[in-house]
Amino acid sequence: MSALGVLLKKELHATFTSPVAWAVGGVFLLVAGYTFSLSLFMTKVANLTYVFHQLYILLVLLVPVITMRSFAEERKAGTLELLLTAPVREISVVLAKYLSSLALVLVLLVASTSYAAVLALHGDPDLGPIAGGYLALLLLASLLVGVGTLWSSITENQVVAASASLGTFLMLWFADSVAYILPEPIDLFFVNLSLLGHFAPFVSGSVFLSDAGYYLTGTLLALFLTTRALADR
Amino acid sequence: MVELRNVTKRYGAHLAVRDVTLSVAEGEVLGLLGPNGSGKTTLLRMLTGAHTPTSGQLTVAGFDSVRQPLEARRRVGYVPESHPLYDHMRVREMLSFMAALRGVERGAIRGAVGEVAESLSVDDVLETPVRHLSRGYRQRVAIAQALVHRPSVLVLDEPTNGLDPRQIIETRNLIRGLAGRCTVIMSSHILSEIARTVDRVAILLRGGLLTVRSMAETPDLEALFLSLA
Repeated sequence: MSALGVLLKKELHATFTSPVAWAVGGVFLLVAGYTFSLSLFMTKVANLTYVFHQLYILLVLLVPVITMRSFAEERKAGTLELLLTAPVREISVVLAKYLSSLALVLVLLVASTSYAAVLALHGDPDLGPIAGGYLALLLLASLLVGVGTLWSSITENQVVAASASLGTFLMLWFADSVAYILPEPIDLFFVNLSLLGHFAPFVSGSVFLSDAGYYLTGTLLALFLTTRALADR
Repeated sequence: MVELRNVTKRYGAHLAVRDVTLSVAEGEVLGLLGPNGSGKTTLLRMLTGAHTPTSGQLTVAGFDSVRQPLEARRRVGYVPESHPLYDHMRVREMLSFMAALRGVERGAIRGAVGEVAESLSVDDVLETPVRHLSRGYRQRVAIAQALVHRPSVLVLDEPTNGLDPRQIIETRNLIRGLAGRCTVIMSSHILSEIARTVDRVAILLRGGLLTVRSMAETPDLEALFLSLA
């Protein structure tokens, strides 16, 4: 097994057996189920637009809790030193931590597809926006987990890592609001930084490469910076 | 086996290790002696690859720690001062994980774990969760994880810190037992421990290497240390 495989196996075990994972999973599914039931019974419309926006908020709030432990816990326990003195590349350590956190989010998103299944069984939903919504959630999760992992690699305090991640997500969420007080062309930059601005088109069924590029570029940048943070010692 | 040429390490404006040149032979036990803040741990961390030198050259078994870091790290086993271990794992899992991570072939892992566990007398706790280990067992498992891939160089940071007298004697005997088979580099600020354990001693002060002496030619280490520091 490659070093990445060995590390990923360990990280997946640690992630899925952690009480944090079960607590986050429970909250996620409870709130998502509540939102789905409420929107379905109130609007009686077979779409998941409202649910996707709720899941967006849930990911912004819960991903920091999932990623806060990845590096901060190991740094505090001293075990990060064991990983960094082993003959493995820093990128393997980063990817293992990143993929295990992303896997937990993916499991939650897969569980939430039961809502789409319920709609398909009892109604005739437009599957385009549903597929777009899940693609958006996947891309959003990849970026949020990347940024959360980056913050966790910088500090040994899990609460600081979670707070910094949440702060970053909220700043990105409302980045386009800052544009109103900025001159051209800087305002355009902040409009394009918006987390929600790149999310909403997917949910309405419009998939733009630029929106996907935003999430993918952000994810790669976060992973690059995390690797640099580990390598710079 | 280990060569340092004009190795310097800076953390911003702080000079942690200053222009150290030193070589350690195969199978030798070398002690780094110095007060707190003398640069012992920084030097050990550079040897393990946890930190890289700001300038100078450091090679392990001929592999440059900056240009060939993976090859250099493959030949080193490291026991940090706090004996960090994965508390959620059982001892066997912990040792198997470290063996796999350090490149032991999949089919050879079970044998390597059994062998190192027996040599360090931790075979009776292989199925015990790490968080339930006593301090003495924890220290032995920490050494076992560093030896499981049969490294050429074993690096120990303050190995007897916090141990009771019996555990100190056991650790000393263990390190002496490795002499000849493996190059051992250990740090300590306890003069008597260094005097009883190592073949040669390197005395550090404020990041600089003051002297390197053979223990056979140093009957009074305390007097030497006081004369230098």
